[in-house]
Amino acid sequence: MNRLILKYGRPLSAVILVVFAWVIYRRVANGDGIIPLVIAAVVVWALGAPAFIYLWPRLTVNGFKRAIIKEGGFGEGPIPVNTLYATPGTSSPSTSRGSLMATGADDLLYVGGWLDLGNGPQVLHVPDMAGRYFSVQFTDPSKSTNFAYVGTRTTGTHAGAYVLSGPGWKGTVPIGMAQISSPTRSALVIGRVFVESDSDLPAAYALAKQIQLTPLKE
Amino acid sequence: MANALAWFSQSGVVQGIILGAVLAFLTAILMMNAVGNAITTTVNGWSAIRKCGQPGNGVLVRAACAKALPVVNVFEEAAYWTTTVDSSGKALSGAHGYVMHFPAGKLPPHEAFWSLIPTDTVGYMVDNPTRRYSVGDRTPLAQNADGSVDIHLQHQAPSGREQNWLPIPSGKFKLMFRVYLPGAEILDGTYQLPPVVRGQ
Repeated sequence: MNRLILKYGRPLSAVILVVFAWVIYRRVANGDGIIPLVIAAVVVWALGAPAFIYLWPRLTVNGFKRAIIKEGGFGEGPIPVNTLYATPGTSSPSTSRGSLMATGADDLLYVGGWLDLGNGPQVLHVPDMAGRYFSVQFTDPSKSTNFAYVGTRTTGTHAGAYVLSGPGWKGTVPIGMAQISSPTRSALVIGRVFVESDSDLPAAYALAKQIQLTPLKE
Repeated sequence: MANALAWFSQSGVVQGIILGAVLAFLTAILMMNAVGNAITTTVNGWSAIRKCGQPGNGVLVRAACAKALPVVNVFEEAAYWTTTVDSSGKALSGAHGYVMHFPAGKLPPHEAFWSLIPTDTVGYMVDNPTRRYSVGDRTPLAQNADGSVDIHLQHQAPSGREQNWLPIPSGKFKLMFRVYLPGAEILDGTYQLPPVVRGQ
């Protein structure tokens, strides 16, 4: 759908504008007033353009949410909320076009899921990556910006557990865990685990599968 | 009441609302594209946006990023460059061969890895008989006598230089250069990727 809009966006816009021009021309030719039409158009345009811009990031992340929890996920069907799915292989030319990793890299395994903290915090578990590059990105669905990272760059490659709490949570973080406060009740989670070579794939996949979410026991 | 409804349907207000909504959508797209272009830096044909994904971004940058690079990594996690043109600005095509020349010691600085992947113009990898879909820091690239490295991008293997060969699709294509955990020279903007130069 998006690709069709990208491809035919300009001719489509031109056709729509021509139809509008014809409608206005008909009104003028029939002697009908166009003042109400123009006022309505200007008001909706002036309010609508900033609204579209403001909502665009939310619509984009919602597309990912739908793809993860309702549609094909990473090629093996929907991924339940608060579950992380690791892709068993890297992106390749044979990756399904509908998959989220169709335009991904061939040296990464992707991990994905949708986080919902409405029923309390979740704990992100990461195994000891023993120096291997990895990252787990948390994206704010209202802004499409990344409010936190767990991974080589930010927390190192040792094993860890991170409490993900929603807005207003007042509980206690268990000893030995770090807290990540989410600015929103839900978040998009994207993980990446480096694959050195084809022969390294089983080791990378075994680690990627251990990046998991569990509910926090309070 | 009936009069008001009749006026409403006759007056053109409904058409006005539809017209306004469509124009608002088109205006939003044009503005996001314009902001996207404004925050894109292009050097040697390679385009990158450094601002995307940062929590402090304003409304316009957030929208432009969501449209150009949806849910992308922050730049310090992964630097992404794309190009669809060669050093003279002509569209990349598998009908030609290209060379990327990295001077000695000028392969991209990184703390994780880098890779260069050719895709079709949408972004999907294209099959090739050798099953080599990328070159990167793990590729045993041969050095020239002066320590520089040439990557040969062409559809058919370059005889004698297969080691540094990156197969490209036969038609128009796009290049994606990823550097994960980019080094300091990338983050401060002093490091630049070399241009993609078309061969004879």
